[in-house]
This record gives sequence, structure tokens and C-alpha cells, in this order.
Amino acid sequence: MPQFDPANFLPQIAWLAVIFAVLYFAVVRPTLPKVGRVIDEREGRVASDLDAAESAKGEADAIRTRYDDGMAAAREAAQAEVVTARADAGRGIESRMKELAAVLDGQAADAAARLAITRDAARATLAATTTALTGEAIARLTGMNVPADEIEAALAAQK
Amino acid sequence: MANPMEQFAIERIGPPIVVAGNDFSFTNSSLWMLIAMLAVAAFLYIGTARPQLVPGRAQAAVEYVYEFIRDMLRENVGKEGLKYAPLIFALFVFVLSCNLLGLIPFVGAFTPTSHIAVTFGLAIIVFALVLIVGFAKHGLHFFKLFLPEGTPIFVLPLVAAIEFLSFLSRPFTLAIRLFANMTAGHVLLKVFGGFVVALGSFEALPYVFGIIPLGVNVALTALELLIAVVQAYVFALLASIYLNDAVNLH
Repeated sequence: MPQFDPANFLPQIAWLAVIFAVLYFAVVRPTLPKVGRVIDEREGRVASDLDAAESAKGEADAIRTRYDDGMAAAREAAQAEVVTARADAGRGIESRMKELAAVLDGQAADAAARLAITRDAARATLAATTTALTGEAIARLTGMNVPADEIEAALAAQK
Repeated sequence: MANPMEQFAIERIGPPIVVAGNDFSFTNSSLWMLIAMLAVAAFLYIGTARPQLVPGRAQAAVEYVYEFIRDMLRENVGKEGLKYAPLIFALFVFVLSCNLLGLIPFVGAFTPTSHIAVTFGLAIIVFALVLIVGFAKHGLHFFKLFLPEGTPIFVLPLVAAIEFLSFLSRPFTLAIRLFANMTAGHVLLKVFGGFVVALGSFEALPYVFGIIPLGVNVALTALELLIAVVQAYVFALLASIYLNDAVNLH
């Protein structure tokens, strides 16, 4: 077997040493770390991208929470507004009703007053007419002219 | 039939280089180591010409192999082992390309890793790395490697001797495993190749019987491709496991 011929050992080992040294120092050392750096950079990039995505998600969650809180607060405020508006409206109606009642009361009072005046006037007219009619009737029946104030007094006594 | 050992013959190419009585001649083994080295160089230089965050095909291929080695070191050595990734990578791709290029038919391919001198040289690199890293990191505490914790004191000398011997035998097992696998595979391919010729030249029915060993050879070639990759992997894996002893003791 040529493998066990000692004459073949030295040339092979010597050339192996030379060729492997060239391979290691001139081929692998200058090239491989470049790829190593790129791999590390890529891993760093992916990790930082993941971190960024994570923080963006956290931010989005925070915004979501804030939005929900804002919505809840707004809903509450709106409800409170509705309640006060309803109460205000109630109060407004009440006061309007009062005003209206006052106006109506005033009109009623006016009407009553006018009615009283008219009645008094009518009564006065009626009294005068009665006196005149009574005087005339006495004059026709008896031929006596009785003065108006006497008739009046007599009528008043009749009542 | 051709001698199946002929394919392993070392042939000197060009003028013999002899320095102080030592033979450093360039041989077919050197040539194929050079070709393997150039193939790795092409792979790496093309793959890392313009490293990009989103890799192209060539860069992705380099990254795939590099990540494979780094994962192996992370698993077997831990984070500290990552700084040896270029050396383990170099060993892996060199053994792999020697193994694979040696399987190319018709071009007179030679497999340097089928020679114990080459595999032993590679194993010595691993052994030297373990010793250098071990002593640099732990100083004389590195000898604790031979004294497993919790061993009863009366068997300690025996255990230490066994551990020491197994430690010393590592470069040999590493070298012989690779060399034997490659040699056996190539012998097998050559033997069945010889059968193709012998059976195919049967006078009455030429070619017909050659088909059977040819089919076997096709299957064997597939198997040898697998073994070429697996043995390169095993070499790198054992190198990282031995490196673990140096980095972490145990």
C-alpha cells in the first residue's frame, strides 16, 4: 500500500502544511468573518425589529386604552348633559307654565273686574230705569209727581 | 484486472524538490490538495465578495456551512467555542472538498484524504489546537482532564493512565478513521469497476454481465458521496468535542 510507504510521508505532510496554511490564513480568515459580521448584523436587525414591533404594539395598546377611556368619559359626560338638559327643560316648562298661569290669572281678574264694572253699570242703569218707571207709574196711577229721590229711598226700603 | 491499490500511488510531478536530503516534491496528492484549496477559495471568495443583509445564492451557501459549524461548536463547546469556528470550518471544508473531488471519475482524481500522512497531519492540527487552548486557558490544571471527578482514590492511577492513553490515541483514531473510510471506499469502487470490465468482456455475450457490477458501482458511488460528507462531518464534530475538553475541561 502506497499509504504506508515512509517515502510518501514527508512530501505530503509538507505540502499539506503549506496548502492548509494558505487555506486558513489567506482564504478563510479574510473571507469568513465578513459573513459572520453579516449574520450577526442580520440577527441584531431582526431582534431590534422585533423590539420595535413589540413597543409599537404596546403603544397601540396604550392608545386603544386611552381611546376606550376617552369614549367612556365622553359617554358619561353626554349622559350627565342629557340629565341636566332634561332637568333644565323641566324647569323651563314649569316657569313657562307659571308665567302663563299668571298671565291667565291676570286676564281672568281683568275680565272679572270688567264684568263687575259692567254689572254695576247695568245695576245703576237698572236702578235709574226702575225709579223712572216707578215715578211714571205713580204719576199715571195717582197723578202725583213723586220726586225721584223719595222713590229711590222707598225702593231701597223695599229690598 | 488493475490493482485496486494503484489509485493510491504517489507520483511526483515536476522536478524533485530535495532540501537537505528531505524530499518535498510536488506530487499528485499535493496537486489535489491544491485543487481542493482552490475550490474552497472560489466558494468563499465568491460567497463573500459583497456580503449583503439579504444574501444571494453564493453567500447563502457559505452562510449555511458556516452556521452549521457554529451550531456544532455552540452545542459541543458553548459560546466560547465560537472563536474557533474559522479553524474548524477550514478543517471541515478542506476534508470535505478533498473527499468529494477524489470521487470525480475519468479525470484521474486523487483523494489526499485516503493517505494516512494527510489525515494524520490534519489530526495533528486538531491535537495541537486542543493542547494549546487547554494549556493557555487552564495552565497546569489542564492535567485535571485525566482525573475525572468522583473517582475512588485507589483506582485513580489506573483511570488516569487510561484517560491519558485515550487522550494520546486521539490523533491516531482521528487520522485512521478518515483514511480507512476513504481508502476502503475507493478500493471497493475500483474492485467493482474491475468486475465491470472482467464480466463485460465475456466472449459469448459481451457487455451484458457487466451491467450488474456497473449498477453496484453506481449505488456505491452514491454511498461514497454520503461517506465523503459524513466523514468530513465526523472529523469536524470530533474536533469540536476534543476542543470542548480543552475549553471546559470536564
